[in-house]
Amino acid sequence: MNPRDLFGLAGGALAAHRVRTRLTVAAVAIGVAAVLLLTSLGTSARDYVVRQFAGIGANLIGIVPGRVETTGGPPLAAGTERPLTLDDAEALVRRIPAVTLMAPLALAVTSVEAGGLSRAVTVVGSTPEFVPIRALAMAAGSNLPAMDSHSTAQVCVLGARLRRELFGDRNPLGEAVRVAESRFRVIGLLAPKGMSLGVDLDEMVLVPVANVLRLTNRPGLFRIAVQCRSFEDVPALEADVRRVLADRHGEEDFTVLTQQAVMASLARIVGLLTAALAAIAAISLGVAGIGVMNVMLVAVAERTPEVGLMKAVGASRGQVLALFLTEAAALSLGGGVAGVVLGLAGAQAVEVFVPALRMASPVWAIEAALGVSLLVGLVFGALPAVRAARLMPVEALRGRR
Amino acid sequence: MIRLERVSREYRTGAHVVHALREVDVAVERGEFVMLMGPSGSGKSTLLNVIGCLDRPTSGLYRLDGEEVTALPEPSLVRIRREKLGFVFQTFHLVPRLTALRNVELPMVFAGVPAREQRDRARRALDAVGLSPRATHRPDELSGGERQRVAIARALVMDPPVLLADEPTGNLDSVSGGEIVKLLGDLNRRGRTIVMVTHDEGIARVGHRRVRLRDGRIEPGEGP
Repeated sequence: MNPRDLFGLAGGALAAHRVRTRLTVAAVAIGVAAVLLLTSLGTSARDYVVRQFAGIGANLIGIVPGRVETTGGPPLAAGTERPLTLDDAEALVRRIPAVTLMAPLALAVTSVEAGGLSRAVTVVGSTPEFVPIRALAMAAGSNLPAMDSHSTAQVCVLGARLRRELFGDRNPLGEAVRVAESRFRVIGLLAPKGMSLGVDLDEMVLVPVANVLRLTNRPGLFRIAVQCRSFEDVPALEADVRRVLADRHGEEDFTVLTQQAVMASLARIVGLLTAALAAIAAISLGVAGIGVMNVMLVAVAERTPEVGLMKAVGASRGQVLALFLTEAAALSLGGGVAGVVLGLAGAQAVEVFVPALRMASPVWAIEAALGVSLLVGLVFGALPAVRAARLMPVEALRGRR
Repeated sequence: MIRLERVSREYRTGAHVVHALREVDVAVERGEFVMLMGPSGSGKSTLLNVIGCLDRPTSGLYRLDGEEVTALPEPSLVRIRREKLGFVFQTFHLVPRLTALRNVELPMVFAGVPAREQRDRARRALDAVGLSPRATHRPDELSGGERQRVAIARALVMDPPVLLADEPTGNLDSVSGGEIVKLLGDLNRRGRTIVMVTHDEGIARVGHRRVRLRDGRIEPGEGP
């Protein structure tokens, strides 16, 4: 049987049974689309949870000076610990590729004055990265400018309540405030946030970190905050931080703080969601497979007499099988491609209605859905044909199954 | 050409065993036109199916053109169906979605005949049964007689030495039926061996010889 005849006969059969062909393609397409949509939903739900945990700092590490340990008796040699410096902080960024954000932190409590009003607040010395690391948002103006962390530019960003207390309804952008003895120009305003880790973020003023170090006249930072992409990278990041700082200090005279409890429960939740996702994928693949199987079985079984005729005029079993396999492959492929398009479109539609879910259709889901539908389509498209081809022609002609 | 010795065919339907053929002996010589006759259920169609390799006998020996068919594996049966036998059915068994021409080409498709040759030979076969003008019509656009001519053209296109016809006039009016029988007679005169099932005594007279079956046995008097 030459290819022209093979494809001609198979194509002709598909065209002749238009309703059945459409139904089969639809069954395959719906199966594939369902698998894609469900796994996309599962994946994006899991990612959503991970992102929410990232918002509360699950992918954050804090480094504070001094070793937290219990030793026997009173401290022997006070002052052996070395401060964490700006150079330490910058070394972390330079030497650890996994670091996505880093903010050095120096604190001072002092008075802030503007227009004759004065208020004692926390002065936070940091870099622009402080805002994304603390998940803060700008209400107006701009964040601290990107700069060398040794810069002492006299600019500041005001917390929401502090701004209201000092300026009322006036626009503070461009105005000057006095922090301790220095004048700072207001370049940005923070959106309200509330308390976080002991600092009232609404009642603070954010200035370049070197200003606070000069103000307190100490080289040491209060803390260094380091962020990586995902909570799963935290253990590796922690090890890197220890190595880099111990290398610089000659010993581990600092403490690395991670959110152990949060990370442990996050790992459990993500593990559960992943298992649920796998179950969803397996079930939807199974349902899709059964749907394809049914349509194929019915579509081919009713053509037993045709198989009988083919054999009567000299078709071998292999030729009958090739014809039906070609048909089944065309149906499964057509349905599979339509299903992928449908599934991706569906995922987009979900994202339109639920923007919080960033739908991403995993490539493995596309592969699995296509693979299963093709396999099931071929097996159950060809199986009844093989059975019919095994019969003697006279039995097949009678339509015996 | 065709030799059957003590051929039996049994069907099992539930607890019943139906003896469609009981130790039948038949011999058909090259160039003969043999009519198989008998009431319905007598086994004449079963006999024709066995001869046409569409069915296997339960026991007995079947020799076709010197070849012992009973013992052959499936691939050899495929070859015999392609090369030695043409079959015409009472209900035509044309593929409804294919044109008359394409239906006639079908055996050549499976035999692996090149496309151009398929077309030429199918046209000649249709011409031989007087149906060239209807070549591009589908079966549902043809009359019963025309359909049966397409089926005969299909049976002949591989040029088999033996043509088998199972009540080819059974679904036709007497005029069309007469034309089909005349066509078969012409084919036989040109050397084709033909075995045909019918229960019409008038049509049966066209054959050289009549073999009558009853209850799966050949009736005596007109034996092989």
